Amino acid sequence: MDTPDNLSKLSISNDAREMLVRAREEGIETVWDRLAAQQPQCGYCSMGVSCRNCAMGPCRVDPFGEGPQKGVCGADADIIVARNLGRTVAAGASAHSDHGRDILEVFESLAAGETSGYEIRDEAKLLALAKEWGIEAGDRSVPEVARDLADAMLEDFGSRKDKIGFLDRLPEQRRKLFDELGITPRGIDRENVEMLHRTHMGVDNDYANISLHALRTSLSDGWGGSMIATELSDVMFGTPKPIMSRVNLGALRVECVNIALHGHNPLLSDVIMQAAEDPELVALAREKGAEGINLVGLCCTGNELQMRKGLPMAGNHLMQELVLLTGALDAMVVDYQCIMPSVTDVAKCFHTEIISTADKARFAGATHVSFDPRRGFEIGKQIVALGIEAYVNRNPDRVRIPQGTMQMMAGFSVEAILEALGGTPEPLVEAIKAGKIRGAVGVVGCNNPKIPQDHGHVTLTKRLIENDILVLVTGCAAVANGKAGQMLPEAADMAGPGLSEVCKALGIPPVLHMGSCVDNTRILTLAAALANYLGVDVAQLPLAGAAPEWYSEKAVSIGAYVVASGIFTVLGVQPPIFGSQNVVKLLAADLEEVVGAKFAVEADPEEAAKLIIRHIENKREALGLPFVAADEALTDKVA
Amino acid sequence: MANMQTVFINPERCIGCRQCEFACAVAHSQSKNAALALAEDPVPKSRIHVSPGWAYNMSVPSRCRHCDPAPCEQVCPTGAMAHEETHGLVLVDVHKCIACAMCAMVCPFDAVTFHAQANGMPSRVVATKCDGCVERLDDGEEPACVEACKVDALLFGDLNTLVAAGRLQASAAVLAATTSQTPVEHPPATISGWRAWGESAAHISEEI
Repeated sequence: MDTPDNLSKLSISNDAREMLVRAREEGIETVWDRLAAQQPQCGYCSMGVSCRNCAMGPCRVDPFGEGPQKGVCGADADIIVARNLGRTVAAGASAHSDHGRDILEVFESLAAGETSGYEIRDEAKLLALAKEWGIEAGDRSVPEVARDLADAMLEDFGSRKDKIGFLDRLPEQRRKLFDELGITPRGIDRENVEMLHRTHMGVDNDYANISLHALRTSLSDGWGGSMIATELSDVMFGTPKPIMSRVNLGALRVECVNIALHGHNPLLSDVIMQAAEDPELVALAREKGAEGINLVGLCCTGNELQMRKGLPMAGNHLMQELVLLTGALDAMVVDYQCIMPSVTDVAKCFHTEIISTADKARFAGATHVSFDPRRGFEIGKQIVALGIEAYVNRNPDRVRIPQGTMQMMAGFSVEAILEALGGTPEPLVEAIKAGKIRGAVGVVGCNNPKIPQDHGHVTLTKRLIENDILVLVTGCAAVANGKAGQMLPEAADMAGPGLSEVCKALGIPPVLHMGSCVDNTRILTLAAALANYLGVDVAQLPLAGAAPEWYSEKAVSIGAYVVASGIFTVLGVQPPIFGSQNVVKLLAADLEEVVGAKFAVEADPEEAAKLIIRHIENKREALGLPFVAADEALTDKVA
Repeated sequence: MANMQTVFINPERCIGCRQCEFACAVAHSQSKNAALALAEDPVPKSRIHVSPGWAYNMSVPSRCRHCDPAPCEQVCPTGAMAHEETHGLVLVDVHKCIACAMCAMVCPFDAVTFHAQANGMPSRVVATKCDGCVERLDDGEEPACVEACKVDALLFGDLNTLVAAGRLQASAAVLAATTSQTPVEHPPATISGWRAWGESAAHISEEI
């Protein structure tokens, strides 16, 4: 299968299409070419029925039922699929939680006065967290309180506790349910290690039991590692407040040194933003012929900075190769996660310097500058200087920057949303009760070249807001919706009458940017706060989650912790579980009886919207709120 | 020909794992060993080709059908393409092949490719296609692709028996369509669920 001739089918955004044309003209390979070259992809693997966990294997089970039905050890399709899914969740949860640990370790060093380029920017949040974690502030200094909080949070990574700290944010009935099911996460690292143990040959051979531990592992991410990452990033870099920003490849400026910040962790990128304002470096850029230094964001590192500082976004996951094709990017600074190994190959076709910064994430063909928080600011300056040096090698004849950017509003932390509501969730709750807002949906997750880029995010979001459903976005979904113009306050006009009225009264868009992918925990925190306010369980609320274009293991962990927390979730891309009807039945049906929520898989965002609208009206009905009968809601409102 | 043993392809069964391609390449290596074959020069090539379908999660394997009369054999100017007697296979004599590609032009299945081969003159590119695993057949084994296929997308046996088995499958569908008989569930729910997503994803691009 060649890459389709009709490049416009690969992405819905014009900046991406323009660069895809260039890639085709110049013979530069992109993710879409590699996906085409991989077709057909292995059915055993995509159904989850292949196992290479031991050396008696590798094994696979014939999904047609005639060839081998068990691996050499005797594991059937149910066990193999559950083991594979469990390991996927563990990898995703580990990625988020290791990110959280990195933030926490710098926070600990900051408290000890050992860092350069970092400060406590939200002291009030620090003190609120300390209180939440049972740490007496008294008349002690801020660093002293910070040290105690760091210690308490580091304990969450170990195995000496019977539950992790942030779990107390959940309503009591949900915490009780976790205890009854035996899925209360005890320690962040512990649940991940235990998952690897359980999925070793000859340990947990019950697909349902493995799947329950997968939920527990994911909860250690959502209410553990990721939540620590979000909360401490707010303390160190500032809690986001509504801020205007811009998005798409037009954020690159032909007259400036362009440096993209790519990856997930704000630790280094925050100091790079400080360094880019350093007068000496600005002077150096001018000396080399540039008018200044222009930073742009990619993926979730970009989201972290856009949320707090309004950094313009160059794009989401599938833009990382295309941004290089502008010929105008002088340096791409990467930390970790979702950075395609191919970026160094594409960069070779241009002058772009790829600068890796995390010792745990090295790239052949990149210049490595090892990140060290003790010399944060100095390293930030060194990296910006590398970008300026690379600018000198830019070939002006090869610069092709798609014109124009779209404005978008970012910065909706839970604190910012509450502030917009006047300090209490009451107005939101009243709007939901009155039916002006039918419910809220987190549209999150990645890009995947199997779905036309951004089409899943944008179409689903559009249908939801048209139906008066408030949409909360993070990660790649935020960039997609920003590019589509759905994240401006004026986009209230795109929403249904009720949501539109509320948005206009508050001056907010109908689609709220809540941050990076670890910041999905903001959505959890908000959901828990609403449930606590109403005295109900999270599962009773008219909420849903969706990952229309997910690709990564992290997304599987997110989906699992959202469902385990009681929120129905629709996946746009099929997870590798279809080789086991029992696992499919468990996740897409029976889980409803266990945790009050389940998964659905639907590639078509129009159909996904229908599933979600039906779900939200059902939840409204169960809560005794005014509801629209499902069929009526669909025929009337969904095009 | 009537009771000829052949490889029959059941596209509905193919799940795109491409293990037939790998097994074919190893079976046509000098060492016949997967780990060592990768280091051989020339690297052995598969003679069976799994192509994607119109949607994700669809695929079909294709190989030389060993036609009789074989168009490739009829147009080959040097007589390099010829039937062998025992199994009725069309084989390439790599020493006679002049890589003119006439065979590839007339092949109804695009089954002939051109690569250097170890047996003969490794420095020359010659017509490369399925040899029916003639050596394995002589040893009483199945073709390597069939052995590797665990989902019965590739079946080896008597042609008429395989056709009859297929007719039996179709008869269930015909009866279901024309009578009140309950249709046999085919394929299983695992597969139909998996394929349904692929079809759904393929239709999305129509929305753009």
